[in-house]
Amino acid sequence: MKDRVRLCSRCFSLTEDDPCAICTDERRDATLLCVVAEAKDIFALERTAAYRGRYHVLGGLISPMDGIGPAQLRVKELIERITREEPKEVIVATNPNAEGEATALYLSRLIGPSGVPVTRLAYGLPIGGDLDYADEITLAKALEGRRIL
Amino acid sequence: MILTRLTLANVRNYASLEFAPAPGLNVLIGANAQGKSNLLEAIGLLGTGKSFRTSRESEIVTTGLPTASVAGEAVVKPGPIRLSCTIALGAGGTRKRYTINGRGVRYATYLGKLRVVTFVPAHLQLVTGPPALRRALVNAALAQESAAYYAALASYGKHLAQKNALLRGLVAADEALLTTYNERLIESGTELILARRAFVTELEARASAIHHAWVGDVEGDLELLYAANVAVEVPTHDGVASAFAARLDEQRAAELVRKTSLVGPHRDDVEFRLGGRPLAAFGSQGQQRTAVLALKVAEYETLFAYGGEAPILLLDDVLSELDGERRAAFLRGVATVEQVFVTTTSEVDARAAATYRIEAAQLERVA
Repeated sequence: MKDRVRLCSRCFSLTEDDPCAICTDERRDATLLCVVAEAKDIFALERTAAYRGRYHVLGGLISPMDGIGPAQLRVKELIERITREEPKEVIVATNPNAEGEATALYLSRLIGPSGVPVTRLAYGLPIGGDLDYADEITLAKALEGRRIL
Repeated sequence: MILTRLTLANVRNYASLEFAPAPGLNVLIGANAQGKSNLLEAIGLLGTGKSFRTSRESEIVTTGLPTASVAGEAVVKPGPIRLSCTIALGAGGTRKRYTINGRGVRYATYLGKLRVVTFVPAHLQLVTGPPALRRALVNAALAQESAAYYAALASYGKHLAQKNALLRGLVAADEALLTTYNERLIESGTELILARRAFVTELEARASAIHHAWVGDVEGDLELLYAANVAVEVPTHDGVASAFAARLDEQRAAELVRKTSLVGPHRDDVEFRLGGRPLAAFGSQGQQRTAVLALKVAEYETLFAYGGEAPILLLDDVLSELDGERRAAFLRGVATVEQVFVTTTSEVDARAAATYRIEAAQLERVA
């Protein structure tokens, strides 16, 4: 089992068949590309069943302190893919921490000239949560990202 | 704010301690190395989640044991609150856990619930010591005061470390990445600069008035100047952000050559002046000491004003640093504070609400 698992040559997710089932699924929306740090993030997003586009796995987050720069990640491959596949939107779904944030902003700077809109996941409150228990920063971010009802 | 109960487990020389402090002035008397400072450190840890004595938190855990915990009950403005901070030693380093009313919370949520102002002998170096000491004072006060300040400070520190690693060449040079870090630094740094500017202005007004009340006007006014690395000309968010951006652009080449960040609030300072002259260079030791005392009282008053309630005051072994007259005046002032803890090696003449003797980590109320 273990030696049959390899990386998908398109999205760099873990797969047994190359390209992977998501990349070859024609029912999926090829105009949406979601960028994640790790393959496991795909599983989290797939569980939502709310996303029907394709993925691109970076293989980590930019962190020069740990010797990880854009060259250590699949950034070049992402830019090539965007040029080739011309998606209508690139969604950056990195963790809401310092490295995730810097990686997202770096990517949007790189993708910007191509004219493809880059979005990122919203910050917000956990569903079923209690405003009273939310930390001030999450609450402030949720307020910033409020929307018209 | 009043700490009504403190429970320690495996904290330095305390295997266990139950302590019910009094409101007002709590005097802790004991010989050296009996556990006075450890007790104050524990109260500080409960409030700020950090030790005011060490950055190596593993030292706080009693040698040979896996965890230390400080728990407490306090009465704060919204009502009674229970807090705890646990330090656990593990293979991957120390880990801290925080709870509020029994619920696990993130540090950003924990910080500021029980605010403390500490005064330790090391603070007497505030005037002459390195800028990092003065930045630490401002950061500690503002981070307790505002969750947004703490978030900006944490964000700034992380992005700064990453930018420095990029400049040092730990990864291949990348202009777009450098610009990304600079933008992140401008966002959080602008918040830091504006908050520090307002805080130092407030601190100066109070410290100057206190100083004047103590020594009159023979020596001239005590001034505190916020020596911002990015000069603030237009004190608005946009004004500071654009000044910061301009300075980063201007120094970009120099930063690449020097391989370190040269611009930003991590290089801020606060300068003391007395009668228009820099106190660090021209002041006598006595003048510098009086200025620090005035600053500390001003810090207490400013946090009081900002938060709308009195922080807890922790005075570790500072009485011995004061001469008789200053000590008496200081204790008179301190006796009116909502709650204050003072450690001393000898009896003090003060209106203490409660006096305790500490010997070999045993606490006994004597008055």
